Amino acid sequence: MLKDRGEPILQLRGITKSFPGVRALDGVDFDLREGEVHVLLGENGAGKSTLMKVLAGVYLPDSGEILLHGKPVSIRNPRDAERLGISIIHQEFNLLPWRSVAANIFLGREPVKGGVAALVDFEFMRRESEKILHTLGLGIDPDTLVKDLGVAQKQMVEVAKALAIDSRILIMDEPTATLTSREIDHLFRKIRELTSRGVSIVYISHRLDEISRIGHRVTVLRDGKYVGTVPVQEATVDRVVPMMVGRKIEQLYQRTCRKPGEEALSVKGLTRKGRFYDCSLTVRCGEIVGLAGLVGAGRTELARAIFGVDPYDSGEIRVFGSLMTQRSPSHSVQVGMGLLPEDRKGEGLALMLPLKDNVVQASLRRLFPTGLVSPRVESSVAAGYVEELRIATPTVMKIAKFLSGGTQQKVVLAKWLCSHCRVLLFDEPTRGIDVGAKAEIYRLMDEEARKGAAILMISSELPELLGMADRILVMHEGRIVKEFSRDEATQEAIIRYAMGKGDDSSASA
Amino acid sequence: MRVPESIFRKIKRLPGVLWALVALIVFFGISGKGFFTAYNLINICKQGSILVIVSMGTTLAILTAGIDLSTGSVLTLSGVTVGLLIHSGSPISVAILAGLGVGALCGLINGYLIAHLKFHHFIATFGMMGIAQGIALAVTQGAVVPGFDAAFRKLGDGTIFGLPVPVVVALLVVVATSIALYRTRWGAHVYAVGGSEQVAAWSGINTRRVKLAVYVLSGLFAAIAGVVLTARMNSASPIAGAGYEFDAIAAVIIGGTPFEGGRGGIVGTVIGAAVISTLKNGLNIIGLPTPWQITIIGFMITVAIVLDVLYQMRKDRVAS
Repeated sequence: MLKDRGEPILQLRGITKSFPGVRALDGVDFDLREGEVHVLLGENGAGKSTLMKVLAGVYLPDSGEILLHGKPVSIRNPRDAERLGISIIHQEFNLLPWRSVAANIFLGREPVKGGVAALVDFEFMRRESEKILHTLGLGIDPDTLVKDLGVAQKQMVEVAKALAIDSRILIMDEPTATLTSREIDHLFRKIRELTSRGVSIVYISHRLDEISRIGHRVTVLRDGKYVGTVPVQEATVDRVVPMMVGRKIEQLYQRTCRKPGEEALSVKGLTRKGRFYDCSLTVRCGEIVGLAGLVGAGRTELARAIFGVDPYDSGEIRVFGSLMTQRSPSHSVQVGMGLLPEDRKGEGLALMLPLKDNVVQASLRRLFPTGLVSPRVESSVAAGYVEELRIATPTVMKIAKFLSGGTQQKVVLAKWLCSHCRVLLFDEPTRGIDVGAKAEIYRLMDEEARKGAAILMISSELPELLGMADRILVMHEGRIVKEFSRDEATQEAIIRYAMGKGDDSSASA
Repeated sequence: MRVPESIFRKIKRLPGVLWALVALIVFFGISGKGFFTAYNLINICKQGSILVIVSMGTTLAILTAGIDLSTGSVLTLSGVTVGLLIHSGSPISVAILAGLGVGALCGLINGYLIAHLKFHHFIATFGMMGIAQGIALAVTQGAVVPGFDAAFRKLGDGTIFGLPVPVVVALLVVVATSIALYRTRWGAHVYAVGGSEQVAAWSGINTRRVKLAVYVLSGLFAAIAGVVLTARMNSASPIAGAGYEFDAIAAVIIGGTPFEGGRGGIVGTVIGAAVISTLKNGLNIIGLPTPWQITIIGFMITVAIVLDVLYQMRKDRVAS
């Protein structure tokens, strides 16, 4: 393998980007050489995606410069990026589900036939799409609607879209997050083909095992700052992980109490066809149980079914020994169960309401049994939680939308504490939250567990699971395939089971 | 090979509402005395033409995941404009152009508010609904502008190659919309904006321009309908267009273009408009009063949406 792949074709210098309350990027440097796969590594919230969105023209940087072939360029919108031959393949697919593959590949630059009317040349689109799909080894009919494709196929359509505009620089944002291992092999083969043709690839990932297979160099970001760049041969776990997490790893996770009490939540044989099968688990008071698995393994769906948002086909749920007969969130809240959803802004908070309203939202019946609401009581109750949870806000009247991610998560937690929930389901509790706020969330989780709360924590961040959970359950394709005690669990073992390669008799759906 | 195949696929993708139309025609053909006469069928086509023209614009708006609630009022205002100008002695062509201009202007204001000032489409067009209606009532002082000369009335009851002029105008509007929607970049971008505005923007599509054009066209089409209706009625009433926005939205929804935008199309809308026109005409013939007609159309909207949801659910289940 070529150690030095020549001059950098792309250089980023001192890129800084702030959002209200967060400095997402702080003077980041990055360069990309021709035909290399440059891995961008970092924890969730380290700034990888933000940096790439700057490159793709989605965000304008506050300061810093971008050099292409040594010349400064400005990328003000996605069209500029496209003109410069830079394409991004987003984590959330950037495709129109109800349009054909061909229409998606040529979206925004539909070829037109000559003549007065300048009509779209569908025949050309179809032909070219077929050609591009063929070079990618895909036998998809260009007339297929995107919604009818599988995840891996959608991803390749995104790649095809990039190739159709002859992109020389391809940014892939965690492309393997939802792929099976066979699909990953296929993707990696395609990536190698592309690089041999001189295409340069920025590969965002936080899966260490993939990097040595595909990358040439690795750059690590942490908390929006550039940490360093190493050739892939030197990018061992021992070298890279400390770069990613800094030295704070020991202090980040606080877990004190380890004496589980009575059984708070008990789920037996819960099944929802197509989503999860025969899931059984228990969570005791004072215990934090982690739920690991790949995206799409059915963890969120399971939590939603337990909470009563989604239906299930069979199985039973008990909270403090009593069988849940009604499947509704309102019943769940009454028996003391709360869900802190993955989509905080969409499902956890009323964004346009003040903090105080969000805090008391699940407790109105408890606080105001007569049905008459007192704003004064609301404020004082909310103020109590602001103090207790150290919620960073100037006033309880602050509109939830304008709080930072970590603070918002605390407000959601306050909502459930306020309603006296003792069974808490956390779905990705620290997603998109900066490290300082993460530590706060961990501290609060630990504190609530010590006070007797039973916590089920879904997380895609293994260090977080290992740091916080007393037991870790691993889901794969809708089934709980393994339970680890805190002492047995390692990152590698969890990943193995999550990918369905735990043992010979691993479940397959 | 390609062409017949894709036409066949399009027919297969036609909303089931086509069968509803067939069923209605059969039902009224049997039960309604005088339904199946040439005079009545031509009458349905003439009535339906106005609705088809309006609902083309509504389809565009809903395809972008928007809505245009102002079409009925804009139709009225344009008709009144034409009527008043003709009565004040303007040449017919000038009056018509002014009427169309008023409609396009209303659409432009809607589009500007929605695309550039980020108004919610419901709010912007709801406001315009009131404004246009109010102006129409004010300039006519609430009275009908009656009686035009034969040259203008030709637009309503004349024929071209044996076809009633309103039908010809509707055909032209449908063909023009169909080309714009299915054969131009702009049309692809309409679907993209409705499918996901973010995806569209990130693909370098100027989503503002797309939306602006959609609302201008919607206003323009409403105005065309207003001119034709004025000629057909031989009068410009300041409440002529009331309810057209309801029928147009109903035609779109019954025709299989859902409120979420990004899918559906004008073929379904034409059938949807035909269903509504046939229904109204047939119910008149069998003597059901207007309030019940409105009730039945409302009911059909609900049924259409339920059927669409069930159909999608079944298709998804087959796929997975």
